[in-house]
Amino acid sequence: MIYLDYGATSFHKPPAVYRAVERAMRTCANPGRGGYGAAMEASRQVYHCREMAAKLFDCLPEQVALTTSCTHGLNIAIRSRVKPGGRVVVSGFEHNAVTRPLHALEAEITVAGRRLFDWADTLEGFDRTLTPGVDACIVTHVSNVFGYILPIEEIAQMCRERGIPLILDAAQSAGCLPVKLKTLGADFIAMPGHKGLLGPQGTGLLLCGGEVQPLIYGGTGSASMEQAMPEYLPDRLEAGTLNVPGYAGLAEGLRFVHRTGVEAIFQREHRQMRRCAEGLKKLGMSVFAGEHQAATVSFLPGMDCEEAAQVLAKQGIAVRAGLHCAPFAHESTGTVSTGTVRVSFGHDASDAKTDVFLRAASKLPRFRK
Amino acid sequence: MKNYYITFRSVTYAQRGERLLNGSGIRCTLQRTPRWMEEQGCGYALKLWTSDVIPAVDLLREDQISLRRVYVQRGDGQLEELTV
Repeated sequence: MIYLDYGATSFHKPPAVYRAVERAMRTCANPGRGGYGAAMEASRQVYHCREMAAKLFDCLPEQVALTTSCTHGLNIAIRSRVKPGGRVVVSGFEHNAVTRPLHALEAEITVAGRRLFDWADTLEGFDRTLTPGVDACIVTHVSNVFGYILPIEEIAQMCRERGIPLILDAAQSAGCLPVKLKTLGADFIAMPGHKGLLGPQGTGLLLCGGEVQPLIYGGTGSASMEQAMPEYLPDRLEAGTLNVPGYAGLAEGLRFVHRTGVEAIFQREHRQMRRCAEGLKKLGMSVFAGEHQAATVSFLPGMDCEEAAQVLAKQGIAVRAGLHCAPFAHESTGTVSTGTVRVSFGHDASDAKTDVFLRAASKLPRFRK
Repeated sequence: MKNYYITFRSVTYAQRGERLLNGSGIRCTLQRTPRWMEEQGCGYALKLWTSDVIPAVDLLREDQISLRRVYVQRGDGQLEELTV
């Protein structure tokens, strides 16, 4: 299989990730609960993951809350900052992981900047809408559909200057772009553990720069006599038994990212995204490509996008078609009715894989005529 | 050399403290906090082997690691809380 759906999850992990998961399953009990060897080993594995993440994202280990997914983290962040009926500003490229929790809160959503790959439009939109009374600014770092890298440093600066909490969705950027909690001054940065960070599914991280409200309540292994959740991080957000094998694997994914370097990973993925976009254009496809683009490219195949993805799947190519859980993004580009086919590259991107994909794309029915 | 215990609210703080102190040459190990030391119930502590606990406490505070209490083990084996 030629796997080009890294926007959904990383499929080929570094071998150390698989080993760490199995080792943890065989050696770890419940972390932060007991004092015997297997419980202490579980605590060590969990702390190791926190420590690796803190190093990569420039924060303290206790600011790294372990979640089950990026969506879980975003829900905590949104519930911590947005009151029911509150006002929020979002980009025109948000995922349902952001917009559905806001809908549930009946928040008043203002969309800032709809034009793809256009930083001037995006910044003008945020500048106009980040006004007093806004509960939070919630922005995706990279569009999961189009790979658009938003000007997050400039948006963060606006938020800091205007005293508006920033929640960053780093689902597509963690592991391939610099993401720094301290530098951005964000209130929260949410990310999955299983995409660019190469950990197992069922893992995520929420970097906390401010006060938090728990989403779930229960045992934390600390302050057990208190019926209120602990006030301190990370315990405040981590009720219940943690996914120790998952975080042990994630720690190895983080180690791989550290060792390889975020910039090197980005360059490798970006080169293949460019080759792919150029190749698709030569085939006559409508391709969404531009400046400020990460490792994801969407295109219109000239036939139903789901059918195109099925044809590609039969040739061993894994891409994702449809709306990608991001109707806001498709509204911005006018592709709600058609969807797109999304090709997203990962740490193992190569010329050979891109070439196989392009050969398969050239055989899509429209181009056989 | 004496035995000291420093207690923490969260295992995460205790682990960060363990890294810091061992990395600074102050030998310590992580363990569960004895129940009588923690009225809120459940916690972790660092057991230190050192002649003076003050440098360890200073290091933890400089690194903004929130600690709860400090105990010293007297010659008769009894533990006594210290104000530091």
